[in-house]
Amino acid sequence: MNLSGILVLAPPERCAEVADSLNQIPGVEVHICEPQGRIIAVQEATTIDDEVAGLRRIKDLPHVISAELVYHYLGDDDSPVQSSGVRKISAENESPNIPAYLNN
Amino acid sequence: MTLNRREFLKAHVATAAAATVGIPVTHSALAATQAVEADWQWDKSVCRFCGTGCGIMVGTKDGKIVATKGDPDAPVNRGLNCVKGYFNGKILYGKDRLTQPLLRMKDGKFDKQGKFTPVSWEQAFDEMEKQFRNAYQELGPTGVAIFGSGQYLIQEGYAAAKLMKAGFRSNNIDPNARHCMASAVVGFIQTFGIDEPAGNYDDIELTDTIVTWGANMAECHPILWARATDRKLSDPDRVKVVNLTTFKNQSSDIADLEILFKPGTDLAILNYIAREIIQRDAVSQEFVDKHCVFATGPYDIGYGMRGIDDYAYDQEKDTQAKELKVKLDKYEAIAQRRKEGDVIEQHNRKKPVKHWLIGSEDFKTAVEPYTLDFVAELAKGDPDEPLDQFKTKLAALADLYIQKDRKVASFWTMGFNQHYRGSWVNEQVYAVHLLLGKQAQPGNGAFSLTGQPSACGTAREVGTFAHRLPADMVVMNPKHRARSETLWKLPEKTLNPKVGSHITKIMRDLEDGSVKFAWVQVNNPFQATANANHWIKAAREMDNFIVCSDPYPGISAKVADLILPSAMIFEKWGGYGNAERRTQMWREQVPPPGKARSDVWQVLEFSKRFKLKDVWNEQSVPGLISDGFDEGKLPDVLTAAKEMGYSPDDTLYEVLFENEHNKQFPWPDPVAKGHDNHTVSTLGVDWFVEKALFEEYAEFGRGHQHDLAFFDDYYRDDVRGLKWPVIDGKETEWRFNEEYDPYVTKGTGFEFYGPALKALPTGDLDDVTNPEKVSLAGKAKIFFRPYAAPPEQPDDDYDLWLATGRVLEHWHTGTMTRRVPELHRAVPAAQIFIHPADAKARGLKRNDLAWIESRRGKVKAIVETEGRNRTPKGYTFVPFFDEGVFINKVTLDMTCPLSKETDFKKCAVKVYKA
Repeated sequence: MNLSGILVLAPPERCAEVADSLNQIPGVEVHICEPQGRIIAVQEATTIDDEVAGLRRIKDLPHVISAELVYHYLGDDDSPVQSSGVRKISAENESPNIPAYLNN
Repeated sequence: MTLNRREFLKAHVATAAAATVGIPVTHSALAATQAVEADWQWDKSVCRFCGTGCGIMVGTKDGKIVATKGDPDAPVNRGLNCVKGYFNGKILYGKDRLTQPLLRMKDGKFDKQGKFTPVSWEQAFDEMEKQFRNAYQELGPTGVAIFGSGQYLIQEGYAAAKLMKAGFRSNNIDPNARHCMASAVVGFIQTFGIDEPAGNYDDIELTDTIVTWGANMAECHPILWARATDRKLSDPDRVKVVNLTTFKNQSSDIADLEILFKPGTDLAILNYIAREIIQRDAVSQEFVDKHCVFATGPYDIGYGMRGIDDYAYDQEKDTQAKELKVKLDKYEAIAQRRKEGDVIEQHNRKKPVKHWLIGSEDFKTAVEPYTLDFVAELAKGDPDEPLDQFKTKLAALADLYIQKDRKVASFWTMGFNQHYRGSWVNEQVYAVHLLLGKQAQPGNGAFSLTGQPSACGTAREVGTFAHRLPADMVVMNPKHRARSETLWKLPEKTLNPKVGSHITKIMRDLEDGSVKFAWVQVNNPFQATANANHWIKAAREMDNFIVCSDPYPGISAKVADLILPSAMIFEKWGGYGNAERRTQMWREQVPPPGKARSDVWQVLEFSKRFKLKDVWNEQSVPGLISDGFDEGKLPDVLTAAKEMGYSPDDTLYEVLFENEHNKQFPWPDPVAKGHDNHTVSTLGVDWFVEKALFEEYAEFGRGHQHDLAFFDDYYRDDVRGLKWPVIDGKETEWRFNEEYDPYVTKGTGFEFYGPALKALPTGDLDDVTNPEKVSLAGKAKIFFRPYAAPPEQPDDDYDLWLATGRVLEHWHTGTMTRRVPELHRAVPAAQIFIHPADAKARGLKRNDLAWIESRRGKVKAIVETEGRNRTPKGYTFVPFFDEGVFINKVTLDMTCPLSKETDFKKCAVKVYKA
C-alpha cells in the first residue's frame, strides 16, 4: 500500500467544488480544505503506476490550478529486510538475481 | 492491515503533508503524527531526477526508506515534489535490482557470446583489468573510454575523471550530459567566458515575462512551472508567458502567446528580435558600450556527422554527404547574404568554434535581412495558421522583450541545446538580452535549465568531459594543465593535451575499432545515443570489452560484457549541483542491497590494479600535436615521478586517492551523525573518502570564481544547498552584477569576468581581417549567428519531421523510472504523437500500431492523435524513454559542430501502418 499527501490549489470560490470532485475519485480523500483554496488530499494506491495516474487525473480536474506531491508513505513495502534491521553488505551467499531480460 | 490502522495512517499522511506546506494542523493531529514517526529517522536529501534540484526529506526505519516528503525549507521547491517524487523512495526497491557482478561466460570463462553469470567482485575486476590492459597496450590511452554522466554524484565524477586523466592519461571520458547541455556550455563560455547561469530560479518570481524556448517546463520541470504558474496568477495582467515550441504542449496552457515554429527557425526568430531592437532604437547603449563587444564566426562548419561514409548504410549517405557540402536553399541564402543554389564546402568543420570581433555596424548589417516578412514566412510552423496571425505573434514577442521597464526571463532546455546549431542559438538569446541590457539582474536574464540532477554540479563543474578539467579549465590549455598537475601532485606533462572523444564519437570509435575498452557509469548510452543500430552492433560484434555499472539492467547492461551492480542515490554519500549553481549534499541513508557498491568504490578498487609504471611511461597518442610534446606521444614521466617521491610500483590508488591529503579526513566524522558509509567500510579504510575527494576537488575552484563551501557546511541543518561562488560563507545570487557578486570590480556595475576566450582578432562578417588579438576582459560577446537549414528535412520518401523528448512520468532513458515494476504500465509503450490528418492520410487512427522509419532504422509505436502533445501537420513526436520503442534507432546522430551535442529534435521519417 502506498499513501500520498497531495497539495491541490483551486480558486477560493471553487474550493468546495474541487474538493467534491476529488472525493469522487476512487482512493482519494480530501482531509483538509482551506477556504483560500488549499486542499490536502490523501491518495491510496496499490502501485506507483496508480499513484502517478491518480495524480495526473487530479491535475486534469476542472478548476485545479496545480496539484503536486508533498508526502509519500511507502512503509508497507514488502521487499526483504533482515531482522537486524540492516541489510547485510557483502553477504557472499546472496541468491543470484539475474533479470531474465539480460540473457534473453 | 486493519481498517483502523489504514485510517490512522491516512490521517497521518494528511497532517504530515499539511505541516510540510505550512497549513495549520491541530496539536492532537501533530502528536499522532509524531507517534507514527517516533522510530523513524528523517534527513535532508535531494531528488534523484531532473536538474531542478528539489530538496526532499527521506524517512528511514530499520535500514529502509519508509517515506519521503518535499523539504519545506528547500528554497527550490518549498515542500512540493512533482510526480517523479513518487520514485525517490521506490526506486531503490525494484524487483530486478542488480545485486552482484555479472560476466558473460561460457565453460567457466569469459566469452563475448556467453550468458551473464554471477561472479565475485574479485573475478569481475580480474577480467576487467585483463581486458583494459589489452586495449591499453594495443591502442594506448585513446583505446579506452568512459561513458560518464550528468547523474554522477560530484565525488563519483571527480574520481572517474581523475583516474582517467591523471592516472590513465586519457581524455576519453565524456558524459551523457553531452547530449543535454553541451550547447549551453559553449554558449556560456563563448559569450561570458565562464560556464553556468548568471541568475537563479528566483528570477521566476521577480520577472514580468517568462519566455520558454523549446522547453516544455510544464512536463519536464513541473516544480519550476508551478512557481511560474503562481507568478502568472499573482498578477495576470502584468505577467506574460510565451511558449515557443514546434508543437503544442502543456506549457501552452497558461501561456498568453504560443508560437509554433518550424524546426531550426529559432535561429531566424532571434535575429528578427535583434533586428527589431536595433530598428526601434531600443539598444541599451550604455550597457552595450560598457559591457559588451560584437562577434561572429564561420558558417561553413558542417553538422557534426562523420566526414566519411565508410560506416554508413546506403540510405544514410545522402544526408551524410551534407557534412562536407551543402547547397543553400532560398532562406539560407537570404539569411547568410549569399545566393540560392550556391554549393558551400564546409571548410571550417574542424574549426567551428573560431570567432572574431566585429563592429556594431556589421551586426546591424547582418541582422538586416531578418525582417518580419522574411522570418514569418520561413518560421511559421503550423501550416494551418494564417500568416498574418503568426506575424502578429512574432511582433508581440518582440514587443515584450523590448518594452522598457518590462523584466524578461528566457528559459530553455533541449529545444535549444539538442540542435544542429545549438551553441549558436544559445548565443543568440544572450545577444537579445545583452542588447537590451536585460541580463544578470533580478528578474532579467536568459537562463539555461538542465535536465539531469548534476549536469552542472558534476559533468560541468567537475569537468567529466573529453576536453575539460575541474573549474572550467581545459586540457588544451598548458596553464590549466600545469595548475591541475600541481593540485593533483603529478609530474609535468602527465596530463594529455589532446581532447578526447565526445560521447557520440566514443560510439563511433567502438564501431571503427579505435576504442576497445569502455566503461559505462551512471548512464545508459546505448539507449540514449542517436542512430543506435550502429552502436549496438559495434558493442556486440566488434572486438571490444564493455563494462556497465548500473543498479538496473537497461540496454547498456544488456549489450555489455560485464555488469557491475551500483549503489543508488540514498545508499551512498554524495552531492549534486543543480541548474542555478546550487550545490547540495546528503548522507548515506540506507545500505545498498547485496553486493551493490558505490561508483566511487568501483573506481577506487579498479585503480588499485594499476601501477605508475603501467601508465606513466611513454604512451602513443595518435594525432597529438602540442607545444612541448613530441608529435603523437605522451612522455615517460616516471623519472620525474621518482623525484617527487613516487615509486614506479606505487598504485594509482595510492597516488591519486589514498594519498596524504586525503588521509587527513578521518572516518568516522561527527558530520555523519551516526549514518554509515559503505564506501569506507568496504574499502576498509579509516579516511572519509567522499569528504576528502570533495575538498580536494574544491581547491580547483576556490579563489577562481568557482568557490564551493566546505564539505561540512552543506550538511548544516540550516543549509539547503549553496549557490556558488560561496565567498565568506555567503552564496552568490546574481553573478556579474556588482550588487550581488563579490567577484565584480567595484564601480563597474557589471563585469563579465569569465576568463575564457577573452582575446580575439578582428574582422568583418566573413572573416578575420586583423589577426592581432584584442583583449575584451570583463565584457560579454553579442554574437551574430545566421539561420542555417537543417541538413535532413522531410522529402518525398521520408515526409514527416520527428522530434523526441521526455514526458512527465518518465525520466531520461527510463532505466530507473521504468524499473519500478508497476510503472511499466503507466505509459505502456511509447506513443507517436501525430496530427489526426496525417494519421488519416496513412490509414491510421488513434491507438493503432505504426512503423516509424528513417534512413537509419525503424520502430513501432502506438498512434496518438490527441492528448498532451499536439503536433501540427507534418510533425511527429516520440518520447525516448521506452526500450520497447527504441526511437534512437531512428534518430540522426548529427550534432552541433561546436558543442558536439546531438540534435534529437530534427530528422525525417515516414510513418505507416504496422
